[in-house]
Amino acid sequence: MIEIGRLCVKLAGRDAGNKCVIVEVLDKNFVMIDGNVRRRKCNTIHLLPLKDKIEIKDKATHEDVAATFKKLKLEVWETKAKESKERPRKLRKGKTPEEKEAQKKSKKQKTAKPEIKKEVEKVVEKAAVQEEKLEDAIEKELPKEKVEIKEEKTTVKKKATKKKAVKKD
Amino acid sequence: MVSGKHKSHTLRKVFVKTPGGRTTVQYKRRKPQHTRCSCGTKLLGVPRDIPGRIKKLSKSEKKPSRPYGGNLCSSCMRKQIKAKIEASL
Repeated sequence: MIEIGRLCVKLAGRDAGNKCVIVEVLDKNFVMIDGNVRRRKCNTIHLLPLKDKIEIKDKATHEDVAATFKKLKLEVWETKAKESKERPRKLRKGKTPEEKEAQKKSKKQKTAKPEIKKEVEKVVEKAAVQEEKLEDAIEKELPKEKVEIKEEKTTVKKKATKKKAVKKD
Repeated sequence: MVSGKHKSHTLRKVFVKTPGGRTTVQYKRRKPQHTRCSCGTKLLGVPRDIPGRIKKLSKSEKKPSRPYGGNLCSSCMRKQIKAKIEASL
């Protein structure tokens, strides 16, 4: 009675009472079953063979078995994958994501403080004007040679400052 | 002296050891009888506790997930299924 294509009823477990078909004979005691049960290895003690037999290939896939079962108007066990649902997230009152972005932008503008920048620029400009005036005065007072020496010194100093700045960076 | 309600053995005695070292008696509700199959065997996989605690268990902890689970034992269930199929044939 136990052979490939034999219709059976499962007697044990959570699929008990459902019809299945033997797909593969594994052993003296064990067979592979499929149909209106989960496809699995099963002991022949847990099966009640029926009179009917289906034409099925050796080691038939679940799809083949399902197709033949549907032709015979028998039910088929089909596992459905769970659909992943979106997690419900709480929204705070009165703050949509668009509003939050707008708030962030306004905060950045506040932190920049353009007025202070303007003041700093003004001070720098004043300092530059004063330096020019001083240089002109020095040129008028001192002979040309001394001025050249001073300029050299200033260039050396500038180089030193540049190096320091690079180190800081 | 034991109070009147504790003399009738409706509540079971539980001896509890206190942190101070004394043993005291607590009176607790008795558990119900085992659930049994119609053939008389005790049903496995069915918890035996007072209903309030069983209510807190999950669905799969309350009874076996096979057909007639929690009502018939497995051998009786097999016999019943066999009988049904033979009758239909």
